[in-house]
Amino acid sequence: MKRVLSNKWSIMVFVLPTVLFFTYIVIFPIFKTLWYSLLNEIPAKIGDASRFSGLEHYITMLTPGRRNRFPGAVGNSLLYAALSVFIQLPFSLLIALLLANGPKGERFYRNTFFVPVVISSVVVSLLWGRIYKGLLPQLFESLSWQIPKNGFLGNANTKIWFSFIPSLWQYVGYHMLLMYGALKTIPGDILEAATVDGASGAKMAFRIQIPMIKPMLKVCLSFSLIGSFKLFDTPWVLLERANMDLPALSMYVEMFSNHKYSYASAQAIFIVAECLVFTALLNWVFREESEKPGKKPRFGKGLARK
Amino acid sequence: MKKILALALALAMALSLTAAFADGGPVVLKVASIWSAETEANRAPMLKTLAEFEEAHPEIKLEVEWYEANAWKDQGETLALSDSLPDVFYWNAGGVLWNLVSSGDILPLDEYLTDEIKGQLIGGALANMTFDGKVYQLPYTNACSCLYCNTELFDKYGVKIPETWDELLEAVKAFREAGVVPMALGGGDKWPTNMYTDIIALRFVGDEACRACYYKTEGATFLTDDWKEAMTAFQTLIDLGAFPDDALSLTRDESEVPYFNGEIPMYVHGQWFSGSLSAEMQNKVKAVKFPAVGKGYDNQWMGGPAEGFSISAHTEHPAEAFVACQFLAQHQSDNGFECGAGLPAWKTEVQCGNPVMNQIAEQVAAGDSLLLWGNTALSGDDATLIGDTVYDVLAGTSTPEQWCEDMETIFGK
Repeated sequence: MKRVLSNKWSIMVFVLPTVLFFTYIVIFPIFKTLWYSLLNEIPAKIGDASRFSGLEHYITMLTPGRRNRFPGAVGNSLLYAALSVFIQLPFSLLIALLLANGPKGERFYRNTFFVPVVISSVVVSLLWGRIYKGLLPQLFESLSWQIPKNGFLGNANTKIWFSFIPSLWQYVGYHMLLMYGALKTIPGDILEAATVDGASGAKMAFRIQIPMIKPMLKVCLSFSLIGSFKLFDTPWVLLERANMDLPALSMYVEMFSNHKYSYASAQAIFIVAECLVFTALLNWVFREESEKPGKKPRFGKGLARK
Repeated sequence: MKKILALALALAMALSLTAAFADGGPVVLKVASIWSAETEANRAPMLKTLAEFEEAHPEIKLEVEWYEANAWKDQGETLALSDSLPDVFYWNAGGVLWNLVSSGDILPLDEYLTDEIKGQLIGGALANMTFDGKVYQLPYTNACSCLYCNTELFDKYGVKIPETWDELLEAVKAFREAGVVPMALGGGDKWPTNMYTDIIALRFVGDEACRACYYKTEGATFLTDDWKEAMTAFQTLIDLGAFPDDALSLTRDESEVPYFNGEIPMYVHGQWFSGSLSAEMQNKVKAVKFPAVGKGYDNQWMGGPAEGFSISAHTEHPAEAFVACQFLAQHQSDNGFECGAGLPAWKTEVQCGNPVMNQIAEQVAAGDSLLLWGNTALSGDDATLIGDTVYDVLAGTSTPEQWCEDMETIFGK
């Protein structure tokens, strides 16, 4: 067995079916969608009238106009990404650090924070819908506070913030668990050594723990960013289908309500490209120290590999 | 013993195989229906219709899949792309139907549709289902929207049921002063807002000009004083606080709850809403014509046969599918009317036990015309636009003038 697996040709043979299957169900559809996005409309819809139209859909999609909601949708998704990166992830990290230090009831808190991840997004949206349409207005009324005009989910200025909260809340536990798991793998002797050297609390977190879970932070950032650009389910349910501008919602409406299949394909490709660009950017920011020009591995990295 | 058992099993399998390929078995047709929820007014009549079909046509077996209305619309569009629509299925008329007709997914019914069958339909029933002289759907209901007034609340606050636009504004003001939300509206779903704007537009603009715009006739335009006046009238209702403060956060079904609870006095809704009223509410509610504006269009109605059953162009059993399609449409029309879920689209002897539905049926029969709602008559992104733009007006992010300009863009394509 060992001999077989050390032969690169046999590895290739074993991996080939998976590669072919993956290519057929993932890579091929992406390129097919790309091709569709370059047509005036797909042949299944208009038959022989289908023709190559180049970047026409992309230009239409990105040209600002009063009723072109796509640029605004991209802006909203970037805002959501920023909220994820600067609010959701730091919050997850804070909880993970607190839990990793072994407080009383560690397991209970860990499981409690993870519960929303297990619940279906639709249930989470309905739950928050009840909060926004029932509990919160009652609370505001009892405190004599002004409820936003048209309600929390109807007000043009506030609905974006309120619709983001459920998904931000839901995935805090997910990122927390990933970071918590990574923190728990830091060898105890390193932490002990740091304690002997006088590090504790914030110093321990910023100098030892966070640098050592950098690879996991990168994973969390990638998931968070890609999830932001693809965000669909929670706003869809919470805001009654498409009352909010987000790229994935816009794509769905163009595809299934407006029946502009090629135009929707262009939006789909835009979302894929956006995810790829940001993943590449993230890889560049988090590239290995040794890959940076003129830099040598630093202390933290050396320790991690010990 | 084992051998005998194995032999018996093999024999049973072989027999079942031959049965599957044998001639004379029932033709199996796939059917897609909406009304998946038990609370839908049309669900019970549809179940009755299916039971009647089973009894009348043992040679055809229907395999029904139930969907929620919006979910089916999306699903149907997707299935059409891969030529895998069910044999017989529920679908909207007008522009929504045209989407599938234009892509060749729906079977024209003219080959099977005899004059005798046509004669059983009410007059003009096929207008929204006919394209280029070919019929693509059979309606199971005739639709219209009207103003549902809770007489108990009108009596309690001493307000007169409005017959004119000024009386409507007075009623709105009176209820607001009494701390009562005057009109129910689930603006989150958009189309309920279109119900209001469509009927207001009909009163100010008239059937002919509205029809020209909704069917994109040459020379039609939204940039007229009448259209601006209509949308300004809608804006006046918003400004007077006619709708719930959180109307845009509410779905259609959420908006109906306070009406069912007797907390809101008025609601512009489709005729099917009367089927959802409890027996107690049916005695309190009066369905009336939307208030008159005095421009000569006061007896015109929004609606018409707007929903029905169609047949996939790719069905393997077109003749049987037509039998099923006609049966479902005709019997659902009767059964739906009988229990007050809808107005009949086929001539019928059936009596309706719902007093509110009877009021509507009587008034619509005496109406001058029926015009399909804008979001149903228009198709694709035009239909989306008319929903988005009224949402924006309701949200205060667009003005009546901007609404007219935005809608005018549908002619530039």
